[in-house]
Amino acid sequence: MLKKLFILVLLVASVAAFGQSKFIAKNAYISFFSSTPMEDILGESNESVTILNAETGEIAFQALMTTFHFKRALMEEHFNENYMESTKFPKAKFNGKIEGFNKAMLTANVSDIKVTGILSVHGVDKSITAPAKLGLESGKLVATAKFKVTPEEFGIAIPSLVRDKIGKEMEITVKANYLPFGN
Amino acid sequence: MRIKYAIILALVAIAIGASVGLKMFFKPHADISKLKSEFKLDASNLITEFGQDENTATTKYSEKILEISGKLVAKNKLPNGTDLLVLEDEMQGISCQLDSSWASANQSVIQSLETGNPVTVKGVCKGYLMEIKVSPAIVLK
Repeated sequence: MLKKLFILVLLVASVAAFGQSKFIAKNAYISFFSSTPMEDILGESNESVTILNAETGEIAFQALMTTFHFKRALMEEHFNENYMESTKFPKAKFNGKIEGFNKAMLTANVSDIKVTGILSVHGVDKSITAPAKLGLESGKLVATAKFKVTPEEFGIAIPSLVRDKIGKEMEITVKANYLPFGN
Repeated sequence: MRIKYAIILALVAIAIGASVGLKMFFKPHADISKLKSEFKLDASNLITEFGQDENTATTKYSEKILEISGKLVAKNKLPNGTDLLVLEDEMQGISCQLDSSWASANQSVIQSLETGNPVTVKGVCKGYLMEIKVSPAIVLK
């Protein structure tokens, strides 16, 4: 209840101060993709939450690890239990900023941007810079990004027996359709 | 003769091992409509529980099957075609992504749902991210 009140106060305060100063997407898409000789591994979530601050260009993402869905039930089980340890580290987070941000970016056509910030996965924080795209697509603010990480960067141990079956790098794809927040 | 039996035994063991392994590898996703719900709850009570203590509620409900009754406030389709129902509060309520195979077989049920009316869903609780995430879910009534 307190948290709800806090969010409400924050929301009202920010709206009062700046008008529509934030954009939100509650069902943003994030995927992990890794191609291997055996088969492609793809985990997808449509349940990530992201907030974009239209005043500062700050951008935040949060995802629940258990919402990633794989083709095989076994992949999902391994992903949560062996690799991500989702009970111990239920959320992945990104907190960052759009480089060289100006408000015109939010009303222009989709163009290339760069996002820098801290990506927290599996309890490990890592500074990353990722190329992304931001702008209006049929009247709606959309953001997309594609970048690569390795499991080792985030302290995710992959047994040597299956190391070759999982790609060295994972490609992360992000897509968010933003809506103005607080009206 | 002994060796022959040993070889047959070993082959049988390998066959059993391989079939168990393959079965595990190709294990299908759980069919939510056939699983029993572990908790039956009011949407507003669940929201209060997560609001009071997110960690305790996450431990209690995460990956569990819940049957939740509440007011339908939004019905949407995501860009990938997934049907989304939101209960109680559009921003901080309960977000339920419907199971795609259930949804394709039950489009008439989904179409008949009207916002403002009570609805009961059954689904796997995934935890809290501004709102309570439930997926995959099916509509009970």
